[in-house]
Amino acid sequence: MKGLWRAQCGVSTPYFQSDLMPMNSTIPGPSGSATYNDTIVRQFAIAAVIWGVVSMLVGVFIAAQMAWPALNFDLPWLSFGRLRPLHTNAAIFAFGGCALFATSYWVVQRTCQVRIISDKLAALHFWLWQAVIVAAAITLPLGITRGKEYAELEWPISIAIAVAWVAYAVVFFGTIGIRKVRHIYVANWFYGAFIIAVALLHITNAMSMPATLWKSYSVYAGVQDAMVQWWYGHNAVGFFLTAGFLGIVYYFIPKQAERPVYSYRLSIVHFWALIFTYMWAGPHHLHYTALPDWTQSLGMVFSLILLAPSWGGMINGVMTLSGAWHKLRDDPIIRFMIVALSFYGIATFEGPMMSIKTVNALSHYTDWGIGHVHGGTLGWVGFISMGALYYLVPRLYGQSQMHSLRAIELHFWISTLGIVLYIASMWIAGVMQGLMWRSINTDGSLTYTFVESVKASIPFYIIRFVGGLMYLSGMAVMAWNVAMTVRAGRAQDARIPAVLAPV
Amino acid sequence: MSADAPVASPDWARPWSDAADGANQDALALDAPQAWAEFSQPVDADALVWQSQLRVEGMRCAACALTVEQTLARLPGVQSVRVSSAARRAAIVWSAQASRPSEWLAAIAKLGYRLSPDVDAGLQRQGQHEARLLLWRWLVAGFCMMQVMMYAYPAYMAEPGTITPDIEQLLRWASWVLSLPVLLFSAQPFFANAWRDLLERRISMDLPVALGLLITFGISSVATFEPQGRWGAEVYFDSLTMFVFFLLSGRWQEGRLRERTAGSLDALMQRLPMTVERRCSDGRFERIAARQLRLGDVLRVLPGQAFVADGELIEGQTQVDESLLSGESRPLHRNRGSAVLAGSYNLQAPVLMQVGSLGQSTRYAQIVALMQQAALDKPRLALLADRVARPFLWTVLALALAVVLLYEDPVRGLMAAVAVLVVTCPCALSLATPSALLASAGWLARQGVLVRRLQALERLTTVDTVLLDKTGTLTEARLGLREITLAPGRKHWSPAQALQAACALAQSSLHPLSRALLIEGQRRWPDAPWAQWRLLNVQELSGQGLQGQTVGDGWPGLQDQLKLGHAEFCGAPSQAQGDQGLQVYLADEQGPIARFEFDEVLREDAQALLAQLGRAGLQVHLVSGDRQASVARLAERLGLAADQLHGQCSPQDKLALLQALQAQGRRVLMIGDGLNDAPVLAQADVSMAVGSSVPLAQAQADVVLPTASLGLILVLREQARRSMRIVRQNLVWAAAYNAVCVPLALTGWLPSWAAGLGMALSSLWVVLNAARLSRPPAMPAPSRA
Amino acid sequence: MDILFLLVPFSVVLALLIVGLLAWAVWSGQFEDVDKEGERILDDQA
Repeated sequence: MKGLWRAQCGVSTPYFQSDLMPMNSTIPGPSGSATYNDTIVRQFAIAAVIWGVVSMLVGVFIAAQMAWPALNFDLPWLSFGRLRPLHTNAAIFAFGGCALFATSYWVVQRTCQVRIISDKLAALHFWLWQAVIVAAAITLPLGITRGKEYAELEWPISIAIAVAWVAYAVVFFGTIGIRKVRHIYVANWFYGAFIIAVALLHITNAMSMPATLWKSYSVYAGVQDAMVQWWYGHNAVGFFLTAGFLGIVYYFIPKQAERPVYSYRLSIVHFWALIFTYMWAGPHHLHYTALPDWTQSLGMVFSLILLAPSWGGMINGVMTLSGAWHKLRDDPIIRFMIVALSFYGIATFEGPMMSIKTVNALSHYTDWGIGHVHGGTLGWVGFISMGALYYLVPRLYGQSQMHSLRAIELHFWISTLGIVLYIASMWIAGVMQGLMWRSINTDGSLTYTFVESVKASIPFYIIRFVGGLMYLSGMAVMAWNVAMTVRAGRAQDARIPAVLAPV
Repeated sequence: MSADAPVASPDWARPWSDAADGANQDALALDAPQAWAEFSQPVDADALVWQSQLRVEGMRCAACALTVEQTLARLPGVQSVRVSSAARRAAIVWSAQASRPSEWLAAIAKLGYRLSPDVDAGLQRQGQHEARLLLWRWLVAGFCMMQVMMYAYPAYMAEPGTITPDIEQLLRWASWVLSLPVLLFSAQPFFANAWRDLLERRISMDLPVALGLLITFGISSVATFEPQGRWGAEVYFDSLTMFVFFLLSGRWQEGRLRERTAGSLDALMQRLPMTVERRCSDGRFERIAARQLRLGDVLRVLPGQAFVADGELIEGQTQVDESLLSGESRPLHRNRGSAVLAGSYNLQAPVLMQVGSLGQSTRYAQIVALMQQAALDKPRLALLADRVARPFLWTVLALALAVVLLYEDPVRGLMAAVAVLVVTCPCALSLATPSALLASAGWLARQGVLVRRLQALERLTTVDTVLLDKTGTLTEARLGLREITLAPGRKHWSPAQALQAACALAQSSLHPLSRALLIEGQRRWPDAPWAQWRLLNVQELSGQGLQGQTVGDGWPGLQDQLKLGHAEFCGAPSQAQGDQGLQVYLADEQGPIARFEFDEVLREDAQALLAQLGRAGLQVHLVSGDRQASVARLAERLGLAADQLHGQCSPQDKLALLQALQAQGRRVLMIGDGLNDAPVLAQADVSMAVGSSVPLAQAQADVVLPTASLGLILVLREQARRSMRIVRQNLVWAAAYNAVCVPLALTGWLPSWAAGLGMALSSLWVVLNAARLSRPPAMPAPSRA
Repeated sequence: MDILFLLVPFSVVLALLIVGLLAWAVWSGQFEDVDKEGERILDDQA
């Protein structure tokens, strides 16, 4: 019968290798139902909110310690030196990480129209990640540290991170592999680059020789180590804190604004240009160090080049609201997202400026760097995460909106004011410190002692503390709002639209 | 024509073919598995799942494509759908047991779009493959170029001695590794063309380029392997990769232009009908795919359908429209025994025909073949840039060689030679023309002019003669009502009433004169008041006219038989003056009521255009397949001299005229629209297809004017002039830049980074200069009629 | 600056891998017909 058909049709080749993917229109998930796995999204979303509060609390505390050192209480576990890495790790990996994981699991399922490939691996990812955070919270105050910035966690925890990361990568890329939509939406490219880059960076930089259970030595030494560390450090910023969150931008802003991305083509160009240039900007952290001059210059030039793709992406995201600017006024969630992009623009302008050697000569080691970081983290990373979480939480719990829209407004205004206070105070402090440190008398001696510059900075540390406290309060409001929404709602997984399966 | 008594309809004849019904029949015929192979392939070994390629017409935007995709995906049995709005194509994977093509066609028709099988899918796939390959080569070149530039940068800017030799060596090795894909893969087209040139003993621009690439890579490789050696001073990997990237940019742009115009023309493609009704041995009629026809088959062709094969009428009589083939705008009478042609349309009555020629042997196919042959024979005029670039490049190579020989130190000599090669990058030259022409073509496309061949823009500036096809170019493809004259004594009739009565009769007819009456009627009275007037026993008599019995109120005071047709049929004295064929009479039982006179409708801007062409110094010739009398009449209206008219031309006659003009040394622009123009369009120096031309004419034309606004022709000419000005500026710039840099390179004063930088900036400048053509000209373009 | 002996070859390998990834993207049609993909996510009823 089949042979007859083929003979009738005059087909001579065995069969045609279709470059479409012929599939059934509904694929039941691993649990047998045609729903997305939103449990993992829920878990990471709630974790993000909780760790957000925790990391900011630690941050506010150490800011207070800078202003009032008595708050160190002479206790090693509460000393600034040990708590600072706890704050950075918690903010970046606990808060930022969980926000990225929650949103990426949500986005990849919906843009691929399929449930994640393995619920078990995702669950492993979640619980192992929480274990890592808890381990960090314990080991860092105990003084167990590798001493490398954003890579302080000792080798057992490093390995756990790598395992969790592999699980995450398998789930993410595996889900894309079984997708029912031919085109891979641009947000997934950003998430994918983030996942791969962080894996490479982490493994490379964390390579160390264990001596005891909680002590290891980096395989690199001296200035070599510095180069690797800041190649890692800057790319952690570039891929963890930028590429990943750009993935959030390219999905959640169009969804919240109910309009497509301003220029989809530009988003593709943006992606490739960004990942390509980011790799070589690392040396700008090492100006005027033992690093050879030409390496520093290389870093400077490519940091400046980086400005173009960064701003291209920002414009693409902001212009998505073109024709619907009134939404900024009416919808606080979209406001969080767009303001996040504005801070992204500021940070990606400020960064290249600071990488210019002459500017860097003033700014390096001062609080200007801290101001730059926090403009980027509080303004860009924080706000975009909050916007995305405000989008997600109601939908995860079967609600049409958050418990209180006014609370979102309150959150927005308190936090924005907090950020402004923070970065303004740090700019002033930073420039002041730089000027004071380089000030030389006519006889060649330094005008100011170091402690004098510290003393002059204290008022700004206080202002910074207030700003941070305001930001923390905003986060607390969010936590309350989320709790109320969860309480009023019911956890449910969304159905995969069975019919909508064009390829 | 003799008056025939009305023939009783034979039982095999059906009344008017419903256009929608015909479409349904076509769709149902696609459900037969035998029909699938033309546009589908089985996906699995058992042929239970198939993938089909279809064309989608009517999509205006990207959202439409999504709607079409979603609609099709919802149909039972459809496994996956992909719709490309840019290519206007759909690919469907479906289960043969659960889905049928007719369902897809119906579902999409409901949305207001039209699906049809895409039999050119193979060609389309080929085009897509080439486009992807080119894109990938370009991307590889681009990425590797960026990385190599990063590696090259430290060597340029480090103070001497601050980079240790081993680091420098490392960077060179890294550059070498990343230049390999660029050389071996991205640059393949240049090497392939250069090799072919060598084999055919021909010179093109790719040969010097290939040589330059090889030499540069060779020297840089030697420097990498033996840094301490004589050649170790400099490497040129960054220049090399930039070379390839810029050269490929020019090619990629050209490729995209070709893609774009191909897509917009495709949408207008029509074909001969896919299915026909064939008489079986038992006298029934079955609908089969046209591919399955055999000689001697008897086919039924209904009014409104096209003939799919050449053959002979064996039963019935009708009028046919052969304008596609001959340019003859008047319907022709066909009786039993007359020949009918594939591609012509049956206008009046159902007929039976017997197939005489099929496929390649039909007249239709012969015209196509004639045109394709002419296209092959067309002399290829080299572009200005090519003419300049080739000798230039050979000079450069000779110079470089001389340098090598003349320098005392061969190493320094070769290095200087390489610097010469790099700095005189043909990039600026190879980009000069395509970027200008592309920018122009883009701007023209926005004005409504589609440029299919870029060389046409250059040739347009040298054109001195214009050949115009009458029908469809200067005139619209229909007749227009010129005058209504009432018969003496019919006082209670007004011209308006006469027209309305005529429309009432005409609405049942496909005859061009009936159509012309209806168009005029609808123009005057958009609500068509005659539609409510009832007529009984409406008959169309071949060669004579229409008649019918009026019924009920609403008629201007009459209740009897109305006739619309020739003078004799209506009992009117036939006029000696003018052309009998362009007059139609309305009559009732009392005699003639009114006379309607028709004329060809001139396009609004035809006269103005001809005047402008004359002022611009172009000699105009009018050619047409129509009879000499009608051509003469038109020429009179347009003010043309007798030697500029050529009536009654067959495609071969037109071709001969063109060749005669070209033999005189003239450069000819041909503007036409019919299938009969196609061979001439292929042979002319510049060819333009106007309006809704036959797709084959469009396929051969250099320029297409879909909106048929003749004023754009002058816009096009002006833009072509601008383009050539810019091209010349670019070439001058390239020459000046080389004149300055080559001596520097020769004397060894140009370090490699400067050579590379110079090449990049020069190319950039050329492209930016060309981009000026995307903006409107300083002078306002002549207004479009 | 010996670390460059690690970082530079690493980046070469990475560049080649990215080029390979680009090839996959081009050949699976990821760069074709992108205009409507931006709108597709608005329809997915989530």
